Amino acid sequence: MVAGELVSQSIVNGILLGGIYAVAALGLSLVFGIMDIVNLAHGHMLMVGAYVAILVFAATGITPLVGMFIAMGLLFVLGIVLQKVLLKHVVGEGIEQPIIVLFGLALILQNIGQLVLGGDARTADLGIPGDGINLGFAFLSLPRTVTFVVAVVLIGATWAFLQYTKTGQAIRATAQNRTAARYMGIDTDRIYIITLGIGTALAGAAGALLSMLFPINPFVGWSYLLKAFAVVVLGGVGSILGTLVGGVILGVSENLGALYLGGGYRNVVSLLIFLGVLLLKPEGLFGTGGGGE
Amino acid sequence: MSFLERHPEKPLLANRRLRAVIGVVVLALLAVPFVTTDALTGLILTGLVFVMLGVSWNLLAGYAGQISLGHAAFFGMGAFVAAWLTTPSAAGFPASIQLPILVAVVVGGVAAALIALIIGPIIFRLSGHYFAIGTLALAAVIELVMLDQRSLTGGSTGYYVQGDLAINDFVGHGDVMFLLTLVATVLTIAVTYRIVRGAGGLGMKAIHDDEEAASSLGVNPLKYKMYAFVVSSFFAGLAGGLYGHYTLYINPESTLAVTWTIDSLVIVILGGMGTFAGPILGSALFLLLDTGLAAIVGSVATTIEGTLIILFIIFLPQGLYGLAEDYLITDVGRGGASAAPKSSDATPGTDPDVVSDED
Repeated sequence: MVAGELVSQSIVNGILLGGIYAVAALGLSLVFGIMDIVNLAHGHMLMVGAYVAILVFAATGITPLVGMFIAMGLLFVLGIVLQKVLLKHVVGEGIEQPIIVLFGLALILQNIGQLVLGGDARTADLGIPGDGINLGFAFLSLPRTVTFVVAVVLIGATWAFLQYTKTGQAIRATAQNRTAARYMGIDTDRIYIITLGIGTALAGAAGALLSMLFPINPFVGWSYLLKAFAVVVLGGVGSILGTLVGGVILGVSENLGALYLGGGYRNVVSLLIFLGVLLLKPEGLFGTGGGGE
Repeated sequence: MSFLERHPEKPLLANRRLRAVIGVVVLALLAVPFVTTDALTGLILTGLVFVMLGVSWNLLAGYAGQISLGHAAFFGMGAFVAAWLTTPSAAGFPASIQLPILVAVVVGGVAAALIALIIGPIIFRLSGHYFAIGTLALAAVIELVMLDQRSLTGGSTGYYVQGDLAINDFVGHGDVMFLLTLVATVLTIAVTYRIVRGAGGLGMKAIHDDEEAASSLGVNPLKYKMYAFVVSSFFAGLAGGLYGHYTLYINPESTLAVTWTIDSLVIVILGGMGTFAGPILGSALFLLLDTGLAAIVGSVATTIEGTLIILFIIFLPQGLYGLAEDYLITDVGRGGASAAPKSSDATPGTDPDVVSDED
């Protein structure tokens, strides 16, 4: 039997990790909800964000918390260029073309990652001295706690942006009804560009945060894509709170799966949860529909 | 009017010139193991495996419209089941289940088809993006579990597969495997051809174009999706078994990896998705790219592949086949008369996107 302390530690770590998963998922969910495309390169964009943070840290020693903003800026630009140059040709053309374009992009990013950094895994440190907090039943390590807090702040900021800014409201209007939004004078093409930029910037942020916790290699993209999509499905497309809860559920179940079944099953558990929810409750645990098609 | 003659369903094989070309190609391929080096035989065998993967994925994705990102799982499971049967001791099975390679490879394909038969009704509850990601996840689960089951799969080190079909010093194991693969490839093409030209293909295209409309006209979408999925998985599994018994080495990372899915997809996109000859043309180009690029540009080969599928799907969605049809077949057939712009909307079978891309 596994000791109780280990269990509570796994759960706490899972909750803290879940915050980052939620950031990654929020970017995916935003793009999916508004543009109706699944960004198959989302995981690879996360990988790029992680590498930006790692390289900045390795070159200058600057904490990935700062590197995160560089990664976000870079990926925001990448998202905008992607929409302007490639995706505008294929959005609304059925699902085959966007899926394949993004699949191709994922291959390119993976290959670039390999070229620039080699196939080895790399990681960064928080770069801030300090101890964690001991709760008695579990230990809150400093990097995990800091990344969780940053993740929650990012999610809150995205929520506030969507809720209170004019652009945010226009994004939500476009999500509800694109045609009606156009009639109201919203430039939906511009909204698509901004949405993809925000979505990919969030992938970059999640990558920068993960670089402080786990080694990153050029091939992690697929795995994080599936995790992010699992969270989207768990939380329901378009639900920010659902995304956060979904991220925590995924983080906790992964850690418990690794604890009870062995490390090799960490990803199997999350994928099975994902497939299970997708099949049994495709509208998500908190969602407002949109699942299943 | 020329567009009336250019009916997309004109049977390919009715064209005598085409039949002659096919005959020559098959004969030339039959001679390959006897006249070329082992390395070249292996290369062309890989090309045949690409054809099997491409043709089978195209049936599911191009005709039935189900973008599966889990094709590698069926390739890999076919390879493993076949390997378990020819080399049972390496996976801890009793030696009594040992079968000859030919039977084992067919059983591998059947096993892949059975997996599709079991998971099909579940996974087809998903559609569109959810189906694509669901199949990607499913393939990842299968790969991770197989990787973890060291006793069955040898873990990441894998194991050597037994098999020696060498007839004499001149015709080695690889040569015999080549001929078997050639037969399997011809079979894959022939069976798929019959399906897409028959009622099955019509049903698949109907659900691809408009599932609700097809459904309301009495076409059962699940039936045709399952049909495409099971047949497609069988041939992917068969290809896996043959490839595993050519290389005589198997491990979960190389046989179940997403790479095989990527290859299938790239082949079909390059050749022309939803066209019959597309994947065959695509395999030839992909083989050239894969080996040529690796030799010339080495490490950026994947980038070029990724770029190519993006450019093809946006600007040339009918792929090489579309190009060939526009500039070769029509021109030759009509003495160049229809080199003029396509008869736009009245021409069925050509992708309207090519013509009406006004963005």
